[in-house]
Amino acid sequence: MQKSQRIILYLLILIAGASWVVISADTSGATTSGAIPAPQAGFAAPNFTLKTPDGTSYTLAELRGQAVLINLWATWCPPCRAEMPAIERMYQEYKDQGFIVLGLNMTYQDDPLKVAPFTQEYSLTFPILLDETGDVADIYQLRSLPTSLFIGRDGIIQEVIVGGPMSEALLRTRIEQILK
Amino acid sequence: MLLLFAAAWIGLSLAEKRAERHGISRDDLNNITFYGLLAFVIGGRISFILQNVAAFTKSPIGIISINPDLFDVFGALAAAFIVAFVYGQRSGMSFWHTLDALTPFFAVLAIGSGLSHLAAGTAFGKETELPWGINLWNATRHPTQIYETLASLLIFGLLWFKKHDPRPGILFLTFSALTTGLQLFIQAFRGDNTLIFSGLRQEQVIAWVALAVCFALIEYRIQKQ
Repeated sequence: MQKSQRIILYLLILIAGASWVVISADTSGATTSGAIPAPQAGFAAPNFTLKTPDGTSYTLAELRGQAVLINLWATWCPPCRAEMPAIERMYQEYKDQGFIVLGLNMTYQDDPLKVAPFTQEYSLTFPILLDETGDVADIYQLRSLPTSLFIGRDGIIQEVIVGGPMSEALLRTRIEQILK
Repeated sequence: MLLLFAAAWIGLSLAEKRAERHGISRDDLNNITFYGLLAFVIGGRISFILQNVAAFTKSPIGIISINPDLFDVFGALAAAFIVAFVYGQRSGMSFWHTLDALTPFFAVLAIGSGLSHLAAGTAFGKETELPWGINLWNATRHPTQIYETLASLLIFGLLWFKKHDPRPGILFLTFSALTTGLQLFIQAFRGDNTLIFSGLRQEQVIAWVALAVCFALIEYRIQKQ
């Protein structure tokens, strides 16, 4: 192929490419935009209402305006146990800036009698909620424990971390992001 | 992650088979890949630490944490490129011949990337009513991860079975042009783009610029022969 033919080919491809960029522009702003609730970064966090062991009710949607860490855990899960002290320390450090942790115990696959001793052992002060039916685990498509979701003040999930234990440095960087 | 590791291993094995055709020894290819991957891992962590110095000052033990999320991909890529480049120069490896020899590695990694996106549900498509849409994240969506995987397979097949081109750099630049062209096309069906200038997809604009650079480099390499 001659040089002039190649240049024409390049230009034609680039013009077609530029046209495609313009034609496929998303003028409605319809990419995720947080409109659909789903347990994935970029989506609105699916709403739920759960109770603590003492009967206090928490609804996720009512926490809009706060940065939220949802941590799904069970007492029998070693990495869940390992990351709890760091989560508690971060809760204490950032709670005055509008940060809250919801510790969702997967009660349907745990021993409910072990939850209170667990929270005492680790001196947990953030709300521990009981998922007794597994409904929230289903909504959040739980694959592995622990699973943590970092949710911004706008209710949009910024990151999902499957597995653990999370280090304090990791928690700190993500919490500072969702507090912005 | 496992799919990416598997792709890297398969890609390196295939690259080894063709390395000598490009004037690169198997040992040199293995060494440059090893040092590049090592720099990728260490560089990614160092770059992340540098961007979050305050967090690591308060929790210094996190520097050696096994959390893979304490990682910056762009820093990792830059570190891998710099280390591989320096190693190649010191070992007398030709820049363009080395990139040609590594092209099967990159092409299989691209396939692995599509499969890992499919497994994790990331890089998802926008909503569609087309019959081949897949149900993901509470909507029927374009299976962009499958588009990406199939197109990457096609690119790999085209380059693997293509007649050997002795001009250094052309194989790698052809792969780069095809891959950026693929991204330019497929990004239109993605549901997680960053929108700029009243709806243009940032990833497509970057791919278009990268494609133009690939064409310029291809022409430059042809003129150099």
